[in-house]
Amino acid sequence: MAHSLLLVDDEPRIRRVLRLALEDEGYQISEAANGFDALAALRREPPDVVLLDLMLPDRDGFTVCREIRRNSDVPVIMVTARTDSHDVVAGLEAGADDYVTKPLVAKELSARIRALLRRVEPASTRTSDLYVVGDLEIDVGAAEVVRDGEVLPLTRTEFKLLAELACAEGKVCSREQLLSQVWGYGYFGDSRIVDVHIRRLRLKIEHDPATPKHLVTARGLGYRLVN
Amino acid sequence: MLAYGLLALGLSGALALVTFHVVSDYLTGQRVSSAIVETADNAAALHFGLFEAAPPCRPSRNNPGECTTVPIPRQAPDVMALLDGLPTTDSAASLLFFNGRWYSAAGQPADLPADMVNTAKSGTVVNRRIEVGGQQVLAVGVPLPRSGEAFFEWHPLTGLDNTLRTLKITLIFAALVTALLGLAVGRFASTLALRPLAELTQVAAAVARGRLDARLQAENDPDLGGLARSFNQTAAALEQRVVADARFAGDISHELRTPLMTMMNSMQLIQNHRTELPPVVREPVELLGDDLDRFRRLVIDLLEISRDDGGDQGLRETVRIADLVRAAADATAGRSITDVAEDAADLTMEADKRRLERVIANLVENAEVHAGGCKGVSVRAGGRGVIVYVDDAGPGIPEADRERIFERFGRGGGDGQSRGIGLGLAIVARHVEWHHGLIMVEDRPEGGARFIVELPTKSR
Repeated sequence: MAHSLLLVDDEPRIRRVLRLALEDEGYQISEAANGFDALAALRREPPDVVLLDLMLPDRDGFTVCREIRRNSDVPVIMVTARTDSHDVVAGLEAGADDYVTKPLVAKELSARIRALLRRVEPASTRTSDLYVVGDLEIDVGAAEVVRDGEVLPLTRTEFKLLAELACAEGKVCSREQLLSQVWGYGYFGDSRIVDVHIRRLRLKIEHDPATPKHLVTARGLGYRLVN
Repeated sequence: MLAYGLLALGLSGALALVTFHVVSDYLTGQRVSSAIVETADNAAALHFGLFEAAPPCRPSRNNPGECTTVPIPRQAPDVMALLDGLPTTDSAASLLFFNGRWYSAAGQPADLPADMVNTAKSGTVVNRRIEVGGQQVLAVGVPLPRSGEAFFEWHPLTGLDNTLRTLKITLIFAALVTALLGLAVGRFASTLALRPLAELTQVAAAVARGRLDARLQAENDPDLGGLARSFNQTAAALEQRVVADARFAGDISHELRTPLMTMMNSMQLIQNHRTELPPVVREPVELLGDDLDRFRRLVIDLLEISRDDGGDQGLRETVRIADLVRAAADATAGRSITDVAEDAADLTMEADKRRLERVIANLVENAEVHAGGCKGVSVRAGGRGVIVYVDDAGPGIPEADRERIFERFGRGGGDGQSRGIGLGLAIVARHVEWHHGLIMVEDRPEGGARFIVELPTKSR
């Protein structure tokens, strides 16, 4: 089944050419020229992935991203002008799952989308699909995290990150490792993606996100999940 | 500054020399005349003892030896008693030639030069500096009334010589002290006067090195204010110009990104369906694709280089340098080319991975595309931390080009074609500098060039 993709960009030529190229890669494309249309399209027919340009005429991409996150866990890839601008961190903090920079090519974008849509793959060493960390129950099979009988509202990427850390069973996972397993990046992936996602995860699973008990930082090495 | 010292030395030396001559002439003259007067007095006293009442002629400096009266000698005078009876305030020895023989209270007639004795005997007062028993003395000869007879005394000069020696030492010392003072004053004055120029030199050098925001502080200096102001204006204009150029390049590349995206994605679509194209357009499409790729790289490089002009953004994280170099170099070359020394394997630094990747990737790509292939990348511990060598098999870089190749669009020498439009090495230089590292290039003994990147493991 073809994955559906919502293209949000105010530049008609960009939408046209990306539609052509991405359709050729096998995606089903819908378009929105501004933030308002994007949110409407999202409500009407939720896509599998949103490609969101941060420069929009009516409201900035960060606001749109936060609006999307309010009631959807759809993977969002934002399009930024530059790698080392503050936009990247701001966009990730607004809830984006990943980012690409202009000029982007459909083929690279397709690789990013595939990585985001990939489900958590059961590793051969895994003995169970259910991990318990403190008062959290992480059910890999159902892609759910439950606390006191309540399902926590994690995005798909947040869940994948948590699941990878849970699978390590207390061992430290380096940022490179997590970037590769969750986002499909090689050595030169942007480790800020991991850092911001860890912050977002802490807000959702820690009782006191400022002094995390479960999702702890191993200085200079990476992160680990402890009881 | 040294000139001040030399000038002071010359002036005070000349002054000391003149002073010494004047004083020594005066003192010697005084000494000589007092010696002559004393000897003449003694000669007069002898005259009374040796001759009858007729008064002796009193010689003076003005009319020495004009004694014409012929005196009458006393009968059998006790010459030695007379000599011994002379006052000996100053004289060291007295000699008398009388009645055809020498009488001596002290001293030997032999010590007197013969011509001096003859002059005195012939009626002329003489004085001369002679050496007796190793001592400088002033010998004075006064003729006696009868021709062929004379009285001699010598007066020690030790006192005068000591005085003159003391004077000499004092003057030399004074001249040296004056010279040193002159040197000090000169130094003080010149540093005071030249301080603004020293600052100008420093600031101009800083601007030349690329620190375009360097400015002179001396705008309020009454002497150099004008120069400082125009220098600062020039520097400001230069800085504006450079920033504007960089911004222009950045803005253009920004604008180019949208059409570039359209072209690249369209081209990708076309290439995905290459087989469906009529054969006649396949080659043009291929050419178009290649140039589009070069165009994309250029725009990306321009963005990269104008990015840094827009301020120092970047991420620093702890990176194992050897891992990064291996990942970047092997991926760029498409084969395993990295050799890591054992002691360098675990070295880490605070680095921006993306920038450092560009450094290694650009160097390896430069070697692969323009210089006959990369002959290996090695990571060694050394310098201020880690040294990375990227070797190629090209013709090497001539000494004269070794700085220029790291400038924007600084083509390598030789066949200008092969190095392409070089932003790659300019980006390398900038990113290495961003990491407080050093980049150099030298010849490999085996031929080809070796690019050397030194990175500090402890970043500031």
